[in-house]
Amino acid sequence: MASAPSTDWPGRYYHIDQVLEKPGPRTDPAFLAGDGVKDFLRNQAKILVIGAGGLGCEILANLALTGFKDIHVIDMDTIDISNLNRQFLFRPKDVGRPKATVAAEFIMKRVPGVTVTPYFGKIQDKDEDYYLQFNLVICGLDSIEARRWMNATLVNMVDPENPESLKPMIDGGTEGFKGQARVILPTFTSCYECSLDMLNKPTAFPICTIANTPRLPEHCIEWASVLEWPRVHGDKKMDTDDPEHISWLYKVASARAREFNIEGVTWSLTQGVVKNIIPAIASTNAIIAAACCNEAFKIATSSAAFLNNYFMLIGTEGVYSYTFEHEKRHDCPVCGGEALDLTVSPDSTVENLIDILIERQDIQIKKPSLSTPTKQLYFQAPPQLEEATRPNLEKKLSEFVPANGEITVTSTSLPFSLSLRILYS
Amino acid sequence: MSSGSQAQPVEDATTALESVPDQKTRRYDRQLRLWASSGQAALESSHILVLNSSSTSTSILKNLVLPGIGAFTILDRTTTSPSDAGNNFFLEGLDSVGKPRAEEAVRLLLELNDGVKGNSIVEKDIQEVLASEGEKGTEWIKSFSLIIAHNLEKIALDRLADVLWADFESPPLFIVRSAGFLAEVSIQFHEHAIIESHIESSPSLRIDKPFPKLLQHSLSLDFDGMDVTDHGHIPYVYILVRVLEDWKKSHDGKPPKTTAEKKEFKEIISKMRKKADEENFEEAEAQAYRCWTETVVPSDVKSIFTPLSTPSPSHTKPFRILLRALEVYTTTVPPYTLPLSATLPDMKASTSQYVDLQTLYKERAVEERDAFRAVLDKVLQEQGENPSLIDDETVTNFVKHSHILRLLRGKKWGWLEESPDTLATLVQTSPKQLAIHLALSALASLQTKHALATAQSKSTKEQETEFQPKLEDLITEAKSLLPTGVEFEDDTDFENAIGEAARSPTADLPNTAALLGGIVAQEVIKMTTKQYVPIDGICTIDLVETWTGLL
Repeated sequence: MASAPSTDWPGRYYHIDQVLEKPGPRTDPAFLAGDGVKDFLRNQAKILVIGAGGLGCEILANLALTGFKDIHVIDMDTIDISNLNRQFLFRPKDVGRPKATVAAEFIMKRVPGVTVTPYFGKIQDKDEDYYLQFNLVICGLDSIEARRWMNATLVNMVDPENPESLKPMIDGGTEGFKGQARVILPTFTSCYECSLDMLNKPTAFPICTIANTPRLPEHCIEWASVLEWPRVHGDKKMDTDDPEHISWLYKVASARAREFNIEGVTWSLTQGVVKNIIPAIASTNAIIAAACCNEAFKIATSSAAFLNNYFMLIGTEGVYSYTFEHEKRHDCPVCGGEALDLTVSPDSTVENLIDILIERQDIQIKKPSLSTPTKQLYFQAPPQLEEATRPNLEKKLSEFVPANGEITVTSTSLPFSLSLRILYS
Repeated sequence: MSSGSQAQPVEDATTALESVPDQKTRRYDRQLRLWASSGQAALESSHILVLNSSSTSTSILKNLVLPGIGAFTILDRTTTSPSDAGNNFFLEGLDSVGKPRAEEAVRLLLELNDGVKGNSIVEKDIQEVLASEGEKGTEWIKSFSLIIAHNLEKIALDRLADVLWADFESPPLFIVRSAGFLAEVSIQFHEHAIIESHIESSPSLRIDKPFPKLLQHSLSLDFDGMDVTDHGHIPYVYILVRVLEDWKKSHDGKPPKTTAEKKEFKEIISKMRKKADEENFEEAEAQAYRCWTETVVPSDVKSIFTPLSTPSPSHTKPFRILLRALEVYTTTVPPYTLPLSATLPDMKASTSQYVDLQTLYKERAVEERDAFRAVLDKVLQEQGENPSLIDDETVTNFVKHSHILRLLRGKKWGWLEESPDTLATLVQTSPKQLAIHLALSALASLQTKHALATAQSKSTKEQETEFQPKLEDLITEAKSLLPTGVEFEDDTDFENAIGEAARSPTADLPNTAALLGGIVAQEVIKMTTKQYVPIDGICTIDLVETWTGLL
């Protein structure tokens, strides 16, 4: 049982009760001010937080102070020293311990009467029954893949016959002085997958530049990590968290840079490039986590309308923000229900199609496997199937798929299957 | 230090380290990538005064202690109440109740970073410092790097703002006000100069006004005689300079102007290919606009050129002199542009071609920087200043960022109320922002009236009454802040804001506090590091609609 009424000392919720005891001018008439809403928030609501990192620490603290008493948190990471400039529930002595566990302990110690249940592991370890127990899910993640999985799982869980199966997902993300917060009502509003094309394309350096015509310090670093590491170390896996590995890469990259008269290779840049480090500060996380928790509070209490449905903030030049409704995509592979139309040249091979899919910003797939309703076109795994379907790569797509024919795309990086309708130009 | 990559300011963040960075660098790694060691040093030498320890104030401080400000002082005589213990993460529930709130907050905030110093003053508040300590009190306040006032009582706030504004050398005053889902943030300062604004804008490559060696090298290239590999690796800068030069010969010395000419120009580039897939020629076509976009001093930079006679605080003086020198430089030294930047974007090229081009730019940038230094020395001399006032490192940094310089001139707190014309305009153009501001102002006025009334009242019962303003009183008070005859065209925004203020007049909601904590800390970091651009006006926030807007 999450709450012990005795911890709710008189005056504890003096501030919050001001908005729970009275509606505001824009509050929905259905809002039932008073004890009912307080009881739901403090004794019944069960909320799940995904991530106990930069956003997660802030989210947990805000939820606890607002009166949520039964909070669960999932995180697969352990604490690193570079987390301490913003993940304020952790101390130097906690380095190496699981984030979820330490964060939960801290919140329970600081905010009386709150239960935080940690899970040190992956979101994929849990099934639908697990996710069904919550009223709301808040994501504070730095991984696109994890967000896509969570989003697809919550969309798939929706059973039109059972309103309880719809779990609002609130998602936050930050980078430097910028961030965004959004509310997703699975199947009703635009989902995470609908907006994939809004993400910045990751910088990729062509392999021929890295190998033959390096110009930037980054090219030298990529040469060290992509080409030299496997050449020298064989099967030994590179660990970007291991300072000795970074030091090795730094030395190799520096030597190459000297050879080509390229300036600017540093230890810090080497680490930044190979770990794909995104700058992160406490203040931006605080803004975005607060926006997310404010939405959770409004959804749980109806004390004010919640965000419809996207808020982005840029703090580099003044405080610039933009609140807008991101539109649902009818051909969204997760929530759209329609196949995605893809026009290709009639001469395209199966391999060409795979390249197109990998390139598409709104699909973002690695190693896709393809099949038609009657035939396996190409499978990345297992090895026997890969070998059996490999000859198809060179063949024309039109041999297998008629115009307007459908192809199903799957990938281990994708928590759903994508339906394509092929059109020939 | 400079390099070919302009997308990665990271190499500036730390000096070239031979081995694993130390503990501190590792701890601050994710922020050093934003403001580098220079920004970090500025943060670490700051000492911030915070005028209470509300949930909002401790949220702000949390986000400043974590990145490592030097020191902070909380001035607050409040004793922790049960409601404080309920909404402030930097109090320990009932254990803190009855203890001095600032002491508890400082103790718990300092746990976040042992590199930060913090202290509390609990025997007095800012009202008393201003009222009874006279000059000494004022000097003490001014000795801080900046001051943060959250929901400070109106009379004290106005007094504090007056005292600080009277002196050009005063630290910035952050004014933060909130009630329930509404909030606003503004900064009172005289002037703020920014060299490293981090504004995303690339310096001109000066393809339209090539410097002699660039022109010479572009003309010397034997495009036709080159083998296919070399031809496919000529940097687009050379291609464009060359094609433009040829074009000008047959066009009266003028670049392409009409759409047809521009198209023709691109076709010339396209036809120069030896193979269909030469990426460098593709890049040249895509960048051809550089040939007909004249390199001029950007209007945002021109607009901050200011006569040195206008009064300014001493901390912006070197910047003002640099700016004056830049104005002289851009009007007297051909080709009347900003000094050349050494930063070159990546482009399809062989390593040697690229490095050679980079060297051309770097050498020329050094020459122009030296020419700028000469102009600067003359300006310094005219001003009777010692040339050592501005060191070479600062000059190099200034020149490098000369296309994104910013100079903000602040306003005195209360500027809006004192400008009927502005109010009359804003009621039309920014009703939502203005409504939030008026609602918070009306709350502040009524709260002061309430406090005065209860203090004068003899009955203890009345002294205990909570501040619960009536909606009608708030409406009347807010409308009285507008000039006569100025009204909202549509009352919705006004009613929404006033209604929220009446609903939760004294609520410091944890989420609002946390959001303000982030926004104010970002602004403090920007002001302190003199990097990035702080808000220029009043930032209003509505967390019902999850919306912000500027006044």
